[in-house]
Amino acid sequence: MPTIVYVQPDGSRSEFQAPAGTSVMKNAVLNDVPGIVAECGGSLMCATCHVYVDPADVDRVPPVSDEEDEMLDVTEAERRGTSRLSCQLTVEDALDGLTVHVPEAQT
Amino acid sequence: MTLSRTHGPSVDLDLAELYRDPYPVFRRLRREAPVAYVPAAGRYLVTREADVVAVDRDPEVFSSMEPDSLMHRVMGETLLRKDGAAHRRERVALEAPLKPRTVRDHWTPVFQANADDLIDDLVSRGEADLFTELAAPLAARNLAAFLGLGGVAAEDLIRWSQDLMAAMGNYQDDPEIWARAFAARDALGVAVDEVIERVRAVPDHSVISAMVNAEDPLTVQQVHSNVMVVVGGGLNEPRDALLTATYALLTHPAQRRDVEADPALWKRVFEEAVRWVSPIGMYPRRVTRPVELGGVQLEAGDRLGIVVSSANRDESVHPRPDEFDLHRADTVHYAFGGGPHYCAGTWVARASIGQIGLPTLFRRLPGLALDPAHDVPWGGWVFRGPLSLRVRWDA
Repeated sequence: MPTIVYVQPDGSRSEFQAPAGTSVMKNAVLNDVPGIVAECGGSLMCATCHVYVDPADVDRVPPVSDEEDEMLDVTEAERRGTSRLSCQLTVEDALDGLTVHVPEAQT
Repeated sequence: MTLSRTHGPSVDLDLAELYRDPYPVFRRLRREAPVAYVPAAGRYLVTREADVVAVDRDPEVFSSMEPDSLMHRVMGETLLRKDGAAHRRERVALEAPLKPRTVRDHWTPVFQANADDLIDDLVSRGEADLFTELAAPLAARNLAAFLGLGGVAAEDLIRWSQDLMAAMGNYQDDPEIWARAFAARDALGVAVDEVIERVRAVPDHSVISAMVNAEDPLTVQQVHSNVMVVVGGGLNEPRDALLTATYALLTHPAQRRDVEADPALWKRVFEEAVRWVSPIGMYPRRVTRPVELGGVQLEAGDRLGIVVSSANRDESVHPRPDEFDLHRADTVHYAFGGGPHYCAGTWVARASIGQIGLPTLFRRLPGLALDPAHDVPWGGWVFRGPLSLRVRWDA
């Protein structure tokens, strides 16, 4: 099972085995990772599961869709080139070790 | 009606007391019985944030379907009482015009014009009841615009909305209330049919056009039902958010100075206002299989009331939860609900009230203050807000 790594703003890390086909958001919620609020549960309506993909992993994740791009415009923390909604990142074997950074604020 | 078996604590509450001021009661429930059967409401009230979030995150166990709901009798099958793929299909069709980009590029100027137009009529007056003279008509005009019902008068929409909402609470089966609701449904239906015909020919940015012209278009019945939900449920909330936020600033002068000095804080004013007094305080859910929630074993068929207005004042999450504080660090709230039914009007409300309605009101009515000759009455627990807001300013 692939491992996903979540890094808090203070640098603390937690990592979890995540079943392929589930989202990076869902695994954060199931494991009570702080800072992933995910109000709309993955319906692309709220932008409160915002993460920054680690620069080393940027080339491994699929591109941003138009729908995700629209919601990334309204994140609470600054949008950067590495910004993603974690509900749109689907775990797969090729993403083993994916590291995402949780922003300072979601709302 | 079958009597539901009840499990866990049962708490007798006076719904009239909840209407007057639910917060002391909710505080006690959070402490003593966070999932409690309340006979007068016919449901378990879920009052702690953690349990509210657990419900919102598990729509398969906590269903939105209420087969014998009063809503169904007037509105037919609306997306509010569906789950899973059936809900998702209608939701996707409906929400496109309400998402941030269309709100920013298309609706923001419309909302600004509506606010300015109503305030133009007030400026020289020096006093008003903001409930009837600004908040309600502004919400109605904005609602008419984004639905596509631009030709409908605000006062008609306000009346239809009231008549539809009254039927949602018509547990006493008053025939007069049904008659008014059916009349509202029919009058609204005539207006909607005209719009359907128009947007079939010429699509526009409206919600009706989005439903009619979706990749997977909705049926005429679905369009009618969903417009009724939006008219019934989409008018009071922005109205109450505007009034609650205005009241909060007029009674917290230091915070008012802060936001008038730094307009970026209007966003915080809006979010804190809907946390503090959430316009929708409670929504229903139904349990689909045995599950434990907040230490209480629930069974399939049990009815729940998800009390977000209590979750938003949960002291384990929000220090000094009863205080309005736009600077608080604990900014996460559930006033827009959560999960697949997360409020479709969230971005419209943030723009029309937080970015436009509130700043325009305080900028254009200098010296705005509560009218000392009048109290501000509040009411409601399922829906809550000021019932009038008499103010004065320098005309």
